[in-house]
Amino acid sequence: LGVALAACAAAQPAGVKLPAYTREVLPNGVVLSLMERRGAPLLDLRAVIRGGAESDPEDLAGLTSVVAEMLRRGSRTRTSDQSAEELDQMGATLETSTTPQCVAILAESLPGYAARLVDLVADAILRPAFPEDELAKVVTRHAEEARAVKDSPGAAVWRYFRAFYFGSGHPYGRPRWGDELSVRRITRPLVVEHYQRMFVGRNLVFTAAGDFDRQAMRSLLVNALGELPPGEPYRPLPDSPPVRPPGRRVLLVDKPDATQTNLLIGFPGIHRTHPDRVALWLVNTIFGGRFTSNLNEDLRIESGLTYGAYSYFNQNRLTGAIVVSTFTPVETTAEALDHAVNALVRFRQQGISAAQLASAKNFVKGTYPPESLQTCRQLATLLGELELYGFGRDEIDDLYSRIDAVTLKQANAAVNTYFGAKNFDLVVLGNASRIRGALRKYAARIVEIPIRQPGFGVSLRFRQ
Amino acid sequence: MRSPAVLLSLVLLTPAVAQRFPVSEHVLANGMKLLVHEDHDIPNAVLYLFFRVGSRNERPGITGISHFFEHMMFNGAKKYGPRQFDIVMEDRGGSNNAYTTRDVTVYTDSFPKSALGLVFEMEADRIQHLSFDPAMIESERGVVISERRASVENDNFGFLHEQLYATAYRLHPYRWPVIGWNADIASWTLEDLREHFRRGYAPNNCVAVVVGDVREAEVLALAKRHFEAIPSQAPPPQVAGHEPVQSEERRVTVRRPAGHPSLLFGYHVAAAGDPDYWALRVLAGALCSGRSSRLHRSLVSRGRLALSVSCWQSLTLDPGLLIFSVDPRPGMDPARVERNVLQDLERVRSGAISEREMRRARNLLLTAHSRELRTNSGRADLLGSYEIFSGGYRKLFEVRDNLERVTAADVQRVARTYLRAENRTVATLVPAEDERDGSKR
Repeated sequence: LGVALAACAAAQPAGVKLPAYTREVLPNGVVLSLMERRGAPLLDLRAVIRGGAESDPEDLAGLTSVVAEMLRRGSRTRTSDQSAEELDQMGATLETSTTPQCVAILAESLPGYAARLVDLVADAILRPAFPEDELAKVVTRHAEEARAVKDSPGAAVWRYFRAFYFGSGHPYGRPRWGDELSVRRITRPLVVEHYQRMFVGRNLVFTAAGDFDRQAMRSLLVNALGELPPGEPYRPLPDSPPVRPPGRRVLLVDKPDATQTNLLIGFPGIHRTHPDRVALWLVNTIFGGRFTSNLNEDLRIESGLTYGAYSYFNQNRLTGAIVVSTFTPVETTAEALDHAVNALVRFRQQGISAAQLASAKNFVKGTYPPESLQTCRQLATLLGELELYGFGRDEIDDLYSRIDAVTLKQANAAVNTYFGAKNFDLVVLGNASRIRGALRKYAARIVEIPIRQPGFGVSLRFRQ
Repeated sequence: MRSPAVLLSLVLLTPAVAQRFPVSEHVLANGMKLLVHEDHDIPNAVLYLFFRVGSRNERPGITGISHFFEHMMFNGAKKYGPRQFDIVMEDRGGSNNAYTTRDVTVYTDSFPKSALGLVFEMEADRIQHLSFDPAMIESERGVVISERRASVENDNFGFLHEQLYATAYRLHPYRWPVIGWNADIASWTLEDLREHFRRGYAPNNCVAVVVGDVREAEVLALAKRHFEAIPSQAPPPQVAGHEPVQSEERRVTVRRPAGHPSLLFGYHVAAAGDPDYWALRVLAGALCSGRSSRLHRSLVSRGRLALSVSCWQSLTLDPGLLIFSVDPRPGMDPARVERNVLQDLERVRSGAISEREMRRARNLLLTAHSRELRTNSGRADLLGSYEIFSGGYRKLFEVRDNLERVTAADVQRVARTYLRAENRTVATLVPAEDERDGSKR
């Protein structure tokens, strides 16, 4: 009987619902969302401050990320060492991260430590002291990491891509964590001013998920966050996709010792709330979003040119890119590049079939719950994201019906709108002397920079 | 059952945590073990298949053959031909992966509950009827050689790690890398593959774990239907080669292009089942976990000698290595950083660990453990790992007690026992460019 019942259930894949939570706005503008999850092994608190790297002044790339990192480097009541010691005593973690649109502070502990964890998070948000000696360490660290990342071509190539694709005039074109040059310009007064302007009640979204009593958690947080001044909400920049001439552009980053080549091909995509977001999710799944995608089938499975080939689409507040990513031995660079470009050409020409669309729908619906709805950390993150983009809970609750509603015609329209190989930016990181020739057919003009050149930006040295 | 006195002291140290969960255990007629844990939080489930076979079961000439199956298992069987496993799995909303260690090979499937039956059918097909197509084998050798190029030859950490093991072990199979040496990857035979598969992937050499939105009765019925008819085999031969006791410090230095130096310190330690295991975990935690740990303070936050420091002890069936990994800051002399690390390690041998440090290490380890418990995949991985490495999955529920039982004296004792110079191997990566700069001067 059990088997028979399960078979019936299989015919109608269950939808997903966001577990129950409460949302309120405190008098100082702080948005507070709480989700009780009894029995969860860990408790997660997440603060999101609107703005993010997007709010960095043009010549101070990395300022927001430095402010974020300084939050746990000493407060008016605890030194950096003391707060580290208190967190470690509980076995808790407190991490900060900077995305293009927000600073996120994530604290996680065993459930019994809620009150102490709230106190430490509030200390980080409300009372950072920004001691000079800690600031000097953070700035040095960011500069060193900007250098060290160049030892990891798979990570470095993305930084070069963003600089090249968006350009230094666009907030996404500037290095999110700064580079060797920009972080050296960051001083304590700049940090304090940026903090005071951004870390205000009307910019703060606070979410919590875990095994706690909602009322008790609420009163802890209302007490802790109530004293934050309301301030002025961050005024986001208008969306302005980078202006680029039609055609193809190529950036070659020379790493003379590389025996592998990293390749990224980027072209215009969408922003996080774009109405095409579900259709693009589905068609990107087919093109390059899973192991059996067109791209990975072609480059890895059929031809063995790489260990992996994927495509991603940015989902940020401002319009971003769709990026094809792969790597290959230096000897097969030309071949891998041809395969990737041809896959794009074919995808646009052939579109997708009804069977492929059905498969993508299954895949997206089947993989979404473990990736987004399983842990308190995921749930606290999701609640913050709903708020950041102005979504309601229907963004999740109706997700499966919106996926089901995408027609083959709509999916193929998305292929036609977003995919193709006429216009793209190609960023290649590898041994230039061995791969330069292979790139010529893709652009008359190749911009080339040595990897040792500080930063990720592009100098105006063109190679014909 | 814990005594009330112990419980009282636990309350002061660590908050109560939902660490226990119901698991049902079955052994099929062919010896395959099945563990099932129902969790109906999300409409998904996972199936983890643990095979007690890894690079430890290899010999010179066929190193890397265990890992090779991680690839072979996706290249077709009887009902589901080449690539069909992945294609059908993703079509139905699932995803899969695999990993190979020195001791086990593990296949992981994560899927919506509607695909449970399909996943059992596909797994049984490849365990029972894996195809050994010579052309496919040849092309897959190339894929693994390029994987090796990416993860070892073009990866400073991977390269140094391989050198550490090759230096620390002289006889035991832990001396070769899981991915294997290039010459072996190129030359093992069809017969080698068949023999390795026959014994390694026998049902009596396997633990299957299902966690998620399933009914135990249904899982058991599926396991019987699909797995029980697979014949059992003689187990793989005993692993030969007891590692002789190391009697002097060993060193290996490599010079490669790099933005910063790297250091690995490996100490031979007890296996996962040894009574010293938990004291070693707490020792490693006290030294390296968290920003206020001894090594982090002395090397990173206060000393400013290193970008990062970490420490880990892999779960191993035979005595493995406790490894300290330090990335000195760019331009820093690795010898200076090494002296500092060794002084810190000497200090923990000569002076006691404080109660604060003990509590911090235990709580950090407990939190890390709880992080694994949050997901279906994490719980399945823990259940299978404890079943194989720790003498039974129930040991999983003793983690907190085991951590609480470790005393500061135990930690000092294991530090004295294992953190000795003659038990140490140091692997150093010196950035090649810095070397050239040095010779110019």
